Amino acid sequence: MNETFLPHEFQYASAEHQSQTAISGMWLFLASEMLFFGVLFLSWIFCRHWNPVGFDVGGGQTEMILGTINSVLLLTSSATYTAGTRCIEAGNARGLIAFCVITALLGLTFLGVKFGLEWHGDLDKHLFPGPDFAIQGAARAGAQLFFVFYFVSTGLHGLHMVAGIGLVAWILWRARRGDFSAAYSTPVSVVGLYWSFVDMVWVVLYPLIYLVGRSP
Amino acid sequence: MRNSILALLALLALLAVEIGVSFIPFNPTARPLILIPALVMLGVIVSAFMQVGRGPVTVRLFAAAGALWLLILLALGSLDPLTRVAYPIRARD
Repeated sequence: MNETFLPHEFQYASAEHQSQTAISGMWLFLASEMLFFGVLFLSWIFCRHWNPVGFDVGGGQTEMILGTINSVLLLTSSATYTAGTRCIEAGNARGLIAFCVITALLGLTFLGVKFGLEWHGDLDKHLFPGPDFAIQGAARAGAQLFFVFYFVSTGLHGLHMVAGIGLVAWILWRARRGDFSAAYSTPVSVVGLYWSFVDMVWVVLYPLIYLVGRSP
Repeated sequence: MRNSILALLALLALLAVEIGVSFIPFNPTARPLILIPALVMLGVIVSAFMQVGRGPVTVRLFAAAGALWLLILLALGSLDPLTRVAYPIRARD
């Protein structure tokens, strides 16, 4: 399917105008997402300021190795999706399909490590805030606040990952149908922006959760 | 393709720096400085993967607006906890 043959919607001057509007629209959505996650980051600043010991004790209980593996997985997935975008811009639909498969697999592996291994282990260690919370003593309240932040932020990020994997699967399905070409790949670029944004959120969450509280 | 690989290598190197820095004994109040490599990583992702420099001017406008709103949110929201002085409560005689 070539964009030059595609009729654009009536409100756009051209197919290129429609494409630019779609990409700008995704950036506007991502700007609103920045504020969505910004409130979470602000809550981290606020709660850690008043509970530095509890946050450090809580951070020391997290699985840094699993978090680091997930960081590598997610950074690699952004690179593979971008490589797929470059492939279709050069007219290589097979390359896009291959990189979409790799990206989706990396995303699924991330979710498996996060929720299958890490959350499972955290729950086994009684790190979910509540009456059975494992950490006792003066740091207990602050550590519970830390784990509220941990479960809420990683849960919300995981939901965004699920949406992202769904979008990559949609691109994969359309690419197999032959919808994209060197002349028309706007949805591929738009989904790539979302996927990289989810990666960016993790880049900030990773040090907040695993590194700042881990005093040597 | 080559640029994606180079960007990925840069990101992995920055991740390694971030982890290495986290093992340096900092004052607890200064430990959030560990986030500096993460901020550089954000710059790499925005420029290399999201290609903020490419496309219409509205892309850069929305990206800058998002960053500005986030800065205002974090700066104004942090003002109270970072400037409030917690005075000890005197017990009644």
